[in-house]
Amino acid sequence: MAAVLETQDLTYVYSPGSPFARTAVDHVNIAIEEGESVGVIGHTGSGKSTLIQQLNGLLRPTSGKILLHGKDIWAEPKKIRAVRFQVGMVFQYPEYQLFEETVLKDIAFGPKNKGLSDEEAMEKAKEAAEFTGLKRSLWEKSPFELSGGEKRRVAIAGVIAMDPDVLVLDEPAAGLDPKGRDVLLAQIGSYHQHRKNTVLLISHSMEDIARTADRVLVMNKGKAAMFDTTPNVFARSAELETMGLRVPQVTAIMTRLQAMGCPVPSGVLTLEQAIKELLPLVKKKEADENAQ
Amino acid sequence: MEFIKADNVRFAYEPAEGELPREVLHGVSLEIKKGEFVALLGHNGCGKSTMAKLFNGMLLPTEGKVTVEGMDTADEETIYEVRRRVGLVQQNPDNQLVASIVEEDVAFGPENLGIEPKEIRRRVDEALKAVDMYEYRENAPYKLSGGQKQRVAIAGIIAMEPDCIVLDEPTAMLDPRGRDEVMETIHKLNREKGITIILITHYMDEAVQAGRVIVMDEGNILTEGTPREVFSQVELLKQHHLDVPQATELAYRLRSYGCGIPDGILNEEECVGALYALIRKE
Repeated sequence: MAAVLETQDLTYVYSPGSPFARTAVDHVNIAIEEGESVGVIGHTGSGKSTLIQQLNGLLRPTSGKILLHGKDIWAEPKKIRAVRFQVGMVFQYPEYQLFEETVLKDIAFGPKNKGLSDEEAMEKAKEAAEFTGLKRSLWEKSPFELSGGEKRRVAIAGVIAMDPDVLVLDEPAAGLDPKGRDVLLAQIGSYHQHRKNTVLLISHSMEDIARTADRVLVMNKGKAAMFDTTPNVFARSAELETMGLRVPQVTAIMTRLQAMGCPVPSGVLTLEQAIKELLPLVKKKEADENAQ
Repeated sequence: MEFIKADNVRFAYEPAEGELPREVLHGVSLEIKKGEFVALLGHNGCGKSTMAKLFNGMLLPTEGKVTVEGMDTADEETIYEVRRRVGLVQQNPDNQLVASIVEEDVAFGPENLGIEPKEIRRRVDEALKAVDMYEYRENAPYKLSGGQKQRVAIAGIIAMEPDCIVLDEPTAMLDPRGRDEVMETIHKLNREKGITIILITHYMDEAVQAGRVIVMDEGNILTEGTPREVFSQVELLKQHHLDVPQATELAYRLRSYGCGIPDGILNEEECVGALYALIRKE
């Protein structure tokens, strides 16, 4: 597999050369493979937002490089705009950025900007609206008449409609209720499977990361503290704890049972996995007792 | 005696032109006692944020009434008394901080109440100490983390010396550490100052820490009780698309497979204990 996005000694310093200089991203070297789903975690101020804003050229690195499909994105600064279509970014609370008269027009804004004709842009918009589960009855409405969860989907559809190779979502489920969150994450998952493009999901919810990510990048004090498969990262709960992070409750339960000598694996991420591991143990114990 | 009482409260927002009014609360009755810690749960649109705004008269019921220590929130004569007693903290800390220095922000409320400067100074210091932000009193709010900003917003409410604080998803925008900081602060205020807490949240692990949980659904109260009573009704909550803590759900699902695990498991501790007993009992 080829890396779609790679960073080389990526470093970003705010207010460089001043007494307030602060290194937010410190020599980060990561390679994101084509088609993977990567979770990004780290507490506030860990550098994760500064990192992702460099991935699509919104911030220019102080030093180091970002390679998109093997090419330095800043090799030709005038072409940075093209990078922003290839690495699509959904910011936090994106519903505040809606502005068009109708839902479809709002979604079509990005593809039009990319240079597609009105018809092509509309086609892309409709496809993206379907993907994010926006009912047809909403398409011609003003985005401002929609509910919070629906607005969020319009904003996400607007980025998806640009067909980015890499889709970056910053806290896409923040403020949604459990049902809204489940639906949204399931849709992002099916979008990912269908388009086979690369997805980066930034979240404070370890449960959401556990459910969606193949690999997890842990940012701490500007450095890439861990970048490994999701089970491997969540098996290191003590270290995560020191970085102000948690593991999902079910992972913590299984880790503790293991530490107490129960024959369960570490890095259990979901309830389904935990049940699969625990049920035979409980049943075996009961059978043993009945046999006595 | 109850501190806040909602009696058969109905509420509909002012409809947009050409639309029918949509009622979001269909006759809710509840009582909150002084010193209680109550969690209000439910999904978006269930009416819980509307309920929060009714508690201090920011919104008034279309039918029924809300009283705070016997004072009707619809009575203009006593509305300032009501607001002084019941403070509201909202989800986004950035929308609640108004001044460019932390201590000035905290002083904003008491200044508006017309309190004399010396007393304001005392209250601001005390409030900042109560939320553990005293060292940051001369900082600029925009430089603080989300958890710190939210604690400053809470200090601003405390400085008005309310009897009750209503918090509408105060941790929704915070990272795990920020969430812990805010939750610890709320518990401390409840425990040490006896402030009544009404916490509106989506997070089940936060609701589990309350003394009483009220679950709302579609403008009605679905169920209420101690966390253990509420979260042992896993099926009911699931039917209404509400979450339960993972520890509770794990125990519940193992039970449904016939495992002899006790009912009403609420947290990691209890779940680990019960599972260990099941697997390893010799």
